[in-house]
Amino acid sequence: MPSLSRRALLETSLVAAGALALPAEAPDPAPVVRKGRIKQAVCRGPYGKIPLEEFCRACADMGLKGIDLLQPADWEVPRKYGLICTMGYAGGGSISDGLNRTENHARIEAAFRENIPLAAKHGVPNVITFSGNRRGMPDDEGAENCIRALTRLKPIAEDNGVTICMELLNSKLMHPDYMADHTAWGVSVMRAVNSPHVKLLYDAFHMQIMEGDLVRTVQTNKDWIGHFHTGGVPGRHELDNRQEVQWDGLMRGIVATGFQGYVAHEFSPTRDPLTSLRQAVDLCDV
Amino acid sequence: MNRKLSRRHWIETTAAAAGALSLPGVLNAQALPTPTPRKGNIKQSVARWCYQKMALDDLCRAGAEMGLKAIDLLGVNEWDVPRKYGLICAMGYAGGGDIGSALNRLENHDKIVQAFTENIPLAAKMGVVNVITFSGVRKGMPDDQGADNCIVGLNRLKKFAEDHGVTICMELLNSKLNHPDYMCDHTAWGVDVVRAVNSPHVKLLYDIYHMQIMEGDLVRTIQTNIDWIGHFHTGGVPGRHELDNTQEVQWDGVMRGIVASKFQGYVAHEFIPVRDPMTSLRQAVDLCDV
Repeated sequence: MPSLSRRALLETSLVAAGALALPAEAPDPAPVVRKGRIKQAVCRGPYGKIPLEEFCRACADMGLKGIDLLQPADWEVPRKYGLICTMGYAGGGSISDGLNRTENHARIEAAFRENIPLAAKHGVPNVITFSGNRRGMPDDEGAENCIRALTRLKPIAEDNGVTICMELLNSKLMHPDYMADHTAWGVSVMRAVNSPHVKLLYDAFHMQIMEGDLVRTVQTNKDWIGHFHTGGVPGRHELDNRQEVQWDGLMRGIVATGFQGYVAHEFSPTRDPLTSLRQAVDLCDV
Repeated sequence: MNRKLSRRHWIETTAAAAGALSLPGVLNAQALPTPTPRKGNIKQSVARWCYQKMALDDLCRAGAEMGLKAIDLLGVNEWDVPRKYGLICAMGYAGGGDIGSALNRLENHDKIVQAFTENIPLAAKMGVVNVITFSGVRKGMPDDQGADNCIVGLNRLKKFAEDHGVTICMELLNSKLNHPDYMCDHTAWGVDVVRAVNSPHVKLLYDIYHMQIMEGDLVRTIQTNIDWIGHFHTGGVPGRHELDNTQEVQWDGVMRGIVASKFQGYVAHEFIPVRDPMTSLRQAVDLCDV
């Protein structure tokens, strides 16, 4: 809300300025100043009704640093607003079909060979990948397959300074049978691959559903986490006082690890979307 | 704290004035503090052991004043103390075993049955609504065998609990950090046990601190299993300290989830304060008064 009054103030000043025959073009409003201990981003998906340019402008205005989950064709758009795409889609498979199946490896490798250099060029620091579903495959076999693939992919990531992030998701409610559904499994994969450019996307919404024990888990495994997602539990709506995670407490726990990456909001707003987003950004700006 | 101090000062002054006017009833009437009005959607209690440096009478008085309804985890000989302050003991120790050794071993059953037979009637008499019990640790015992044993033990006890209107609560605890090898460490296992026993007076003590460490998914788990939950404990995660903004559980959100489940029992605070204990307790009570 302060930005509204700031905007109003700006317009009033400009009208006055116009009367004095000064240049009439409105500059972009100054972004809300954030403490910067948590660099925040937001997933594009829940705000799909807002055109991307307009969305980027609103995000820049509220002090966000990036937009998550854009396709390569859109990677340049946030940069016009001083943002980056913080987590790109680069052909890393889908939730149900990812790196735990060797038959997917060639396709994902080809896509990453094409898109990771592009990501580097557009300042995209992370690209997403997934384990895929179990479909009867034992977890240790899936881990071995993921390790084999990520070991082949890691030079591409390292050479380009882009981090491949495998997302942790809940298999209890939303993604039944998804393999990377526990931190320990994901960490065992990352540890075996052992690259500063191959990490986990720790989705705190999903991990609160699967595991709880958020701060301790994040702090214990900080070396293997490259990115975070949020979302109110239960329901994946606003980070408000009707849900069970204290997001500012979790953010303090993340800050204490010295984490240098991004935390992206990924909830479906039930109220005015940009107001809800701004409230989340305010809350997590610890 | 200032408000409390000045109110007490005011009461003492008033009482002295009343004494001077020879109105003998007034002094006793003023001895009880005026409770902070609470919404009452969540009836709150507090675990005695977290405030060991205070005399029990002082904790009861302070608890009553901040709008608590009860004190948790008192021994039989203390059950009457909270009643002097308009409170009850909401969770009593009545000989239900201990964390390391309890109902998952058949050889403990006679001792626990004997203690409950003696103490549950006393609990009923003193208004103690719940008594605590535990699974005990695994020591290599498979979970299904432990569940069978707990069911046997609780089936022996349930009629007695029902007849006296006292609820036996088996506590869920984390085995990951604080109580390694404790068997009743997941809600699903506990619910299997109390579902098989199927008594309105045999339930789980869902310790939110412990279950956040073991499972997360608090509100959904509570709402799905509310018929089998008789009591709650709190405590900041991680660390089991204040319910403040350095920890990961949003307690008022969890309380709203509990209220929505129509839960009628008590929620007891069980954290170890690192700051002024009574200020921290009052802040927790304020936060959970949704």
